[in-house]
Amino acid sequence: MHFSLLLNSALILFSRLASASTSSYKEQLLLRPLPQNALLASFNFKSNSSSTSFEQQNFRYFPRSLGQILQHAHTKELHLRFSLGRWDAESWGARPWDGAREGGTGVELWAWVESENDEEANARWLTLTNALSGLFCASLNFIDATKTIRPVMTFEPEGIHPKGAMDKLQLLHGTLPHEVVCTENLTPFLKLLPCKGKAGISSLLDGHKLFDAAWQTMAIDIRPVCAADGECTLEIEHTVDMVLDIARSKRPRDNPIPRPLPIEQMECDTSKSYHGDDTCFPLHKSSEPAWSVSEVFGHPLKGSCTLSDTETTTESICVNVPSDRTIDVKGAFNISQSSHNNDNLRCFTLPTDGSDFDLSFPEQTLQAPTTLQKPNLYAARSITGYGQERGGIQAVVSNPSPTSAVSIVYLESLPWYMKPYLHTLRAVISPTNANNGHQNKSKSRSTEDNLNPVKETYYRPALDRHRGTHLELRLEIPASSTLILTYDFEKAVLRYTEYPPDANRGFDVAPAVIRLLSSRETEGGAPGMYLRTTSLLLPLPTPDFSMPYNVIILTSTVMALGM
Amino acid sequence: MAAMSAPSPIMEEEPLFPPVHAVHAKKSHKEPPPETSEAIFRRRMILLSFWAVAVFLGLPIWWKTTTVYRAQLPVGRMLEWGDGKVCKPTFPLRIAVEAPSLPVQESQHLIRTTQHALDDLNDFSAHHLRLLLSGPAQNASAVGATNSVPVSKITTPKDGESDKEDIALTIKLLLGESGTTPRSSLHPYKPTLDVYYSPNQIPSTSSTASPLANFIAAELQSLFNEEQATLAHLLASTASQPPQIKSISPEMADFLAKRKTRSFKYSPTYHLTFSLFTPTSTPSNWDIEGALETYLSPLLESLSSISNFTVDSQVQIYATLSPSISGPEFDEEKGVWTLKKEDLSGFVNAAEWPLSPSIGAGPTINFIIYVPSVEQSPLVIRENGGSSWLVPQWGGVQILNNPSTSTNTLSKEDLRPALQIFSTQLLSLLGLPSTPASLPLRLSTLSRIHSASLLFSASSTLGALARLTKTLPSIAIPDTVAHDVEMTMKYLQAACDGLKEGAFGKALENARNAEGSAERAFFERSMVGQVYFPDEHKVAVYLPLLGPVAVPLVMAVVKEFKLWRKSRRG
Repeated sequence: MHFSLLLNSALILFSRLASASTSSYKEQLLLRPLPQNALLASFNFKSNSSSTSFEQQNFRYFPRSLGQILQHAHTKELHLRFSLGRWDAESWGARPWDGAREGGTGVELWAWVESENDEEANARWLTLTNALSGLFCASLNFIDATKTIRPVMTFEPEGIHPKGAMDKLQLLHGTLPHEVVCTENLTPFLKLLPCKGKAGISSLLDGHKLFDAAWQTMAIDIRPVCAADGECTLEIEHTVDMVLDIARSKRPRDNPIPRPLPIEQMECDTSKSYHGDDTCFPLHKSSEPAWSVSEVFGHPLKGSCTLSDTETTTESICVNVPSDRTIDVKGAFNISQSSHNNDNLRCFTLPTDGSDFDLSFPEQTLQAPTTLQKPNLYAARSITGYGQERGGIQAVVSNPSPTSAVSIVYLESLPWYMKPYLHTLRAVISPTNANNGHQNKSKSRSTEDNLNPVKETYYRPALDRHRGTHLELRLEIPASSTLILTYDFEKAVLRYTEYPPDANRGFDVAPAVIRLLSSRETEGGAPGMYLRTTSLLLPLPTPDFSMPYNVIILTSTVMALGM
Repeated sequence: MAAMSAPSPIMEEEPLFPPVHAVHAKKSHKEPPPETSEAIFRRRMILLSFWAVAVFLGLPIWWKTTTVYRAQLPVGRMLEWGDGKVCKPTFPLRIAVEAPSLPVQESQHLIRTTQHALDDLNDFSAHHLRLLLSGPAQNASAVGATNSVPVSKITTPKDGESDKEDIALTIKLLLGESGTTPRSSLHPYKPTLDVYYSPNQIPSTSSTASPLANFIAAELQSLFNEEQATLAHLLASTASQPPQIKSISPEMADFLAKRKTRSFKYSPTYHLTFSLFTPTSTPSNWDIEGALETYLSPLLESLSSISNFTVDSQVQIYATLSPSISGPEFDEEKGVWTLKKEDLSGFVNAAEWPLSPSIGAGPTINFIIYVPSVEQSPLVIRENGGSSWLVPQWGGVQILNNPSTSTNTLSKEDLRPALQIFSTQLLSLLGLPSTPASLPLRLSTLSRIHSASLLFSASSTLGALARLTKTLPSIAIPDTVAHDVEMTMKYLQAACDGLKEGAFGKALENARNAEGSAERAFFERSMVGQVYFPDEHKVAVYLPLLGPVAVPLVMAVVKEFKLWRKSRRG
């Protein structure tokens, strides 16, 4: 239970230490088998450059195209996310990177832009979104004023900015929940990496596998790290996390349609009464499935991407499996292996001569199955109500911890055509029912329930066609309790031309962002703990679009007959 | 009327109307009672008021809502500019002569005779050289000399500062102690020509020609020969052909045309991008900062009088060649890998190499250092064994074979030959003339060529805009366009005057502004995005609406007219 927590913090600590040198590049892949034949692959690429060479536009590891965009838009810190799918917290446990490197469904972008006033910030934000839209082949240019908010509590700068610079920085945040992330976003993403997917762990990134995953997120984080003496480095971090279904990924590409095995090769549950020559109930296997890197990703790793002049080769691929799991290393001979954290994490160094590298895991029954770290929070959000006029939102956030209360910030960025009634906002705390039966305990909690869990509210109402609703709440959830947040909203009637081509599909509403405020005071620059709900589909009253044409045709016919 | 009097089935069923009445009505064809004049008058007034509404309210509204706003443009003057009738640029170059060892009288005479010789040699009247006497030692007398020397009419500049700037070349007359005289040498980094003479070559005040004067004249003529040819070519290529055009040889014209296609269009800012590409993972580092500082900055500094430059660099490893080219082949004889000449055009893998233009106004000039993999080096061009080439209007490529030092980092020394080649390529891409040998002279030549070409292109843009507004009467012309046109003409006039006065720095500045505002006026967004319909199309759109409205109005008038004629006759 603890080792993955340790792992996450170890990874973060490790990468923070590496960032101390002025110009370096580092990459790391973590593979962690999850229950139900799933596999988490977490890619992390980190490079940095000194701010002097960045300002002189001498780019080495930092991509030139992105660097020029940042300079042109006066952006000091940038976070960009492309996500697809849902992290199944119930069966997969805690999120990788504590959720700090993932975004809501679609595209999410937030940045700290240097500006003197709001108009200038808006103009630079517009420049930034348009330039990024071209670079990443995404519709980021559709992040206009109605989709942009300025969060106050949810996001803290990750970078360590030079003293006094924060006063001039403005945080802007925009989401595109409707955007479908696909291969055309991955190709420019790979181009920004020094090894461009030709060597090192990035050679495993392939659009066919990445977008076939049950959940995937691509992230780019750029932040400055300034020392006390004013010396700054600019860090860029590319992160790709995905959860693959092992059985699905192992399908050969030339024969991707799943077909039943011949009955002779099937393993049947012979204890069933109907078992016979022609009937077979598949045997539920308790053993870990067999898989290898080349099977799951389609091809083996192509050597290492070692660029630094001085540094020796680093361990760039780590596997998080119990110590008794057998791992066969195939390929080059010059592979070092080391173990961390009670042997639950095994790391490998890739061959530097560019030869292929592969890890394979035979089928094996483990003594102790993998334990997963429990998430700190569960969250779900849905639309309630019926009809074309009104609706409601219900968000359920539960704190599974039996001992400690959590404090969270709940951020909603709603489109303008969804108008919430703030007076209907209710936050109700109820004990999680799967609790022990101590009567006195629940009694004492019921007195607590009367306390309002909403500690702080920030609300900026929508203006039709000019800006969306921005709602931020700071909430307190006691131990092993569930918070139910509800409010009603009204659906606006749109103009004829404001409907998209697929108007009857509904309108996407951006996911809510939940930030866990940790009790201990973290130093500046640590990425926080985040959680995002799924996006919602809001049905709006949709007119019959063929009606005007019918009217025109009918009147024209009548007129023609009359003349 | 007949239909009204005919018996209707309803009438027959009505018991109140006996059939007798009906028969009677059928028989008599009784005329309706004559209209009273009051009723006629009222009907005509109604008709008139309908027409009045249509004509005095409907038509103006229709006219007002469908008309496009057209700001007043000085079309006539614009066309004059476009045809080159307003400005005939001339290029009077001032050349200062310093003769510290000669007495003023003699040097003035020498200048006079040299000027005569020059004028005889020059066959291109728009471009002429004017000699001035000056010298650090005789500053006071130089002012007097300027007035007294009857070289030609010199427009005295307003301030001494620009006077100094606008001296294109300084000739230093030096007493040659040894070697053949007269001889000359040009400073490569200063606009100075040293002429050595022996004392006996100074012409006497009575003679009208001297070998020294002829020698200096011939030297000057050869120095500015290419500039004259270029300007003549430029003048010839514009629509208006000045009669006194200098004839240039076809080879020269060919050479100039080639240079024009190779070089970038003038821009106040250029972005230079230096990229290191390699198909493997090494080298992944280069001392580009130091190399640029040492080998490129001095050049960019001297070019800064013409344009500004931004410089950026990047390293790209694992950059493979484009699959469209056949790839390097091994040459057994020489033991080198070779690229075919036709592959050079596809060498730059535009699809995969991140060579996007820099953000901001102005074109990007790309310089690429390609380090081939160890297995494929040395890599040269098959036809001539070279390793660098220039891509017209795009940049330059250099294949760097066998970097001497450590494998992962290219040192400043490794980059030196490449950057020197890039410097030459940059000058060529900017359209710098190849002669004379002195860089400041070539730069000042370039500024004159740019001023002239900007002047011509801004004028022709004005002419094109004027023709466009004349041919498309339905195009909207916003006020900003009119303002830009006004500004363009102001700048053009200033640039033209600058050229005439010999203030070339000012001329370039004004010509640049003129070009900018002319382009802005021509590519005005609201004009470009307009959709134009032919008139038949408009009729087809309006007729279904106006037709049904117009029919009763017109028919009523016709009927009323008929009645009126009938009443007059009857």
